[in-house]
Amino acid sequence: MWINMGPQHPMTHGLWNLRVKIDGELVLDVDPEMGYLHRGIEKISEDRHYNEIITLMDRTCYVAGMAWEHLFIQAAEHALHIQVPERAQWIRTMSEEFQRVASHLMWYAAFVQDIGLMSPFLYGMRDRDLVLDLFQSYTGGRLTYEYMRVGGVRNDLPPGFTDQARKVCDWLSDRFVEYDRLCLGSDIFHRRCDNLGVLKASECIRYGITGPMLRSAGVARDLRKDRPYAAYGQVDFEVAVADGADVTGRYLVRMEELRQSLRILRQTLDWLDRNAGPVMAENVPRWMGAPYAPVGREGYLLKREYPKGVGFSAIEEPHGEALAYVVNEGGEHPYRVKLKSPVFVNIAAARQYLVGYRVADIPPIMGSVDVCVGEVDR
Amino acid sequence: MAPLSLYGVSNSLVSTLLLHLAAVLPAPLSTLLSNGDLILLLSVLVFCGTLLGASLLNTILLIWFERKMLGRFMDRRGAMHVGYAGLLQNFADGLKLFRKHTFRPQDADPLGFFSAPTAYMVASIVMFGILPVSTGWSAGTLPLSLLLALVVFSFAPLFIFLGAWSSANKYSLIGGMRSAAQMIAYEVPILLAVVAVVLLSGSFDLTTIVNEQRNYWFWGPLFLALIVFVAGMLAEMERIPFDLPEAEAELVEGWNTEFGGMLFAFFMLADYARALVGSYLIVLLFLGGWTLPSWVPAPLTNFPLAGIFWFQVKTYLVFGVFIWIRASLPRVRTDQLLRVGWMRMIPLSLLSIVLAALVVLAKCLPVFGCLPSMGS
Repeated sequence: MWINMGPQHPMTHGLWNLRVKIDGELVLDVDPEMGYLHRGIEKISEDRHYNEIITLMDRTCYVAGMAWEHLFIQAAEHALHIQVPERAQWIRTMSEEFQRVASHLMWYAAFVQDIGLMSPFLYGMRDRDLVLDLFQSYTGGRLTYEYMRVGGVRNDLPPGFTDQARKVCDWLSDRFVEYDRLCLGSDIFHRRCDNLGVLKASECIRYGITGPMLRSAGVARDLRKDRPYAAYGQVDFEVAVADGADVTGRYLVRMEELRQSLRILRQTLDWLDRNAGPVMAENVPRWMGAPYAPVGREGYLLKREYPKGVGFSAIEEPHGEALAYVVNEGGEHPYRVKLKSPVFVNIAAARQYLVGYRVADIPPIMGSVDVCVGEVDR
Repeated sequence: MAPLSLYGVSNSLVSTLLLHLAAVLPAPLSTLLSNGDLILLLSVLVFCGTLLGASLLNTILLIWFERKMLGRFMDRRGAMHVGYAGLLQNFADGLKLFRKHTFRPQDADPLGFFSAPTAYMVASIVMFGILPVSTGWSAGTLPLSLLLALVVFSFAPLFIFLGAWSSANKYSLIGGMRSAAQMIAYEVPILLAVVAVVLLSGSFDLTTIVNEQRNYWFWGPLFLALIVFVAGMLAEMERIPFDLPEAEAELVEGWNTEFGGMLFAFFMLADYARALVGSYLIVLLFLGGWTLPSWVPAPLTNFPLAGIFWFQVKTYLVFGVFIWIRASLPRVRTDQLLRVGWMRMIPLSLLSIVLAALVVLAKCLPVFGCLPSMGS
């Protein structure tokens, strides 16, 4: 019997369809169908100015907007040959780590709901709100920020921000102990999640799976370490690795990543306290930030010209490795923007880690994949 | 002063009313009104109506209690806006559901689809008539009331499966199958645990069982049976960690996916009625019913309606534990649930029967003469 888990189903955490062939409770085959949330972000980007694309990037993944902004902005700066001041790099690093914390907390909330734990869902959402409050205090937005700019960031941090942020870090590190006790301390959790959705390292690599799923299989691959960008080369942290390659392993990896993120955050906050400086590059072309081209003396629209170039960037997004490729043919819009989403790859391999388990195992396994449909469909 | 009884009150109320009416009305009507059968019929009706109303009110209060408790466990406040501390929220919800259009999917079988919620509701509410909540508050003393209660209680899977099958939805069907499998698996250990209670009390009558617990409550000697019974009741009530039939993560809403409006309200209310009845049963069988230990000072036990008050306090405490479990445990998987049911709970309950038999034997020995002798 084929059943459709989706496009509107509590398991999907978004808008996609997992077709499942079942025999009783046993999963015989699965067929993931994506594309329900396709908005053509890559195509729309070709008709927009660089700073206008940032709003689209926020909406690419609605739980990790800052990471996608960062991804695109890096590629755009690469294409436009712009150097970013150091303080802006550190602010971006801090923003991305806060985004990782918010995204992982969202994942935690959704994941425990999938295995039937009710209270930790609200604990996760409650603590994520503190991070969103921090975002609101310096970007004005809680989910879609439009904060990064080509050449830097929009504005510096408000006074007193770092103290608030440290308080949030302290609160969160206390809560993580509680989270672990609620999940790992429960025998039922281990019965549900151990040896579930196993995907070995060799298969992960064969399917191009990245992020916590790959690291849960014992591969210490993290772009922040392996290909440092922004200020990641100057902070001290460890790559979270587990060796179960199962749902519990992914849980352990994400919880360890949360702790490592707090470690990175404390270092970035200290650095930001010590070092002042500009947050926007000085050699940014004129009218870079303007939504419309300026009107010339004769009333004609001035055409903006940028130097030709090709930009590429790769970052460790909360869900895995995201890549962006920006081609600038000299016009005022990018000629082509190509994004690669880690979650798309992770979902596409669903048959490898779902078949053979039971219907009741699908939500925990898919929950441990951490699906964000916005970036799957783009 | 005769002990207060619900039937006595309704009987005297009806007969007084009818006598006063008969005194006023002309001859043919007055003889009709003073007829003994009519008085009996009307007092039974008043009694049933009061019992039903009080039980449903208690059920709705239970839902409120769960919402508030869950809210506190989750670091929020629960329902707050309708009525004081959200007391009237459930009535508002009920009113909303009542006003909704009752929708039936095109392929659903009308007979099964509409009769299942009704039958489920009836089978749950009948339980309130069977279980004594205090002395004088039950419809009467049935010699086999415990057996009757368990029989009625185990009707539910049939109606759930009926509703699930007739709603022509794959999720409902899977949920219904799970529900049937789960309830059958847990019926057996529950019954075996009850056998231990019956052995110790020597009676199938719930009132006698409670009276037998005057001196010591059964949860002490029958601790294993209590564990089995509580776990079985969790499965019967379909609450976390055993709420697989309506596991919203994978089955949307399980067997009641297609039911909306008043049909859903029926299922919901009946679910909580079953939760209340399950807590009643635990209190009756293991926690001494409406009795309190003898060391409790007299002012706490002999105020009017003390029995029913303490019974409800115990019930809410038991249900509070259920809420606590719900707030802190994940859901188990079907095969794990069935394995625990058949391979762990049944041996445990058999062991508890042996223990109960040993306790009964021990009471016959002169060494343990300090233990109170059995009733009769």
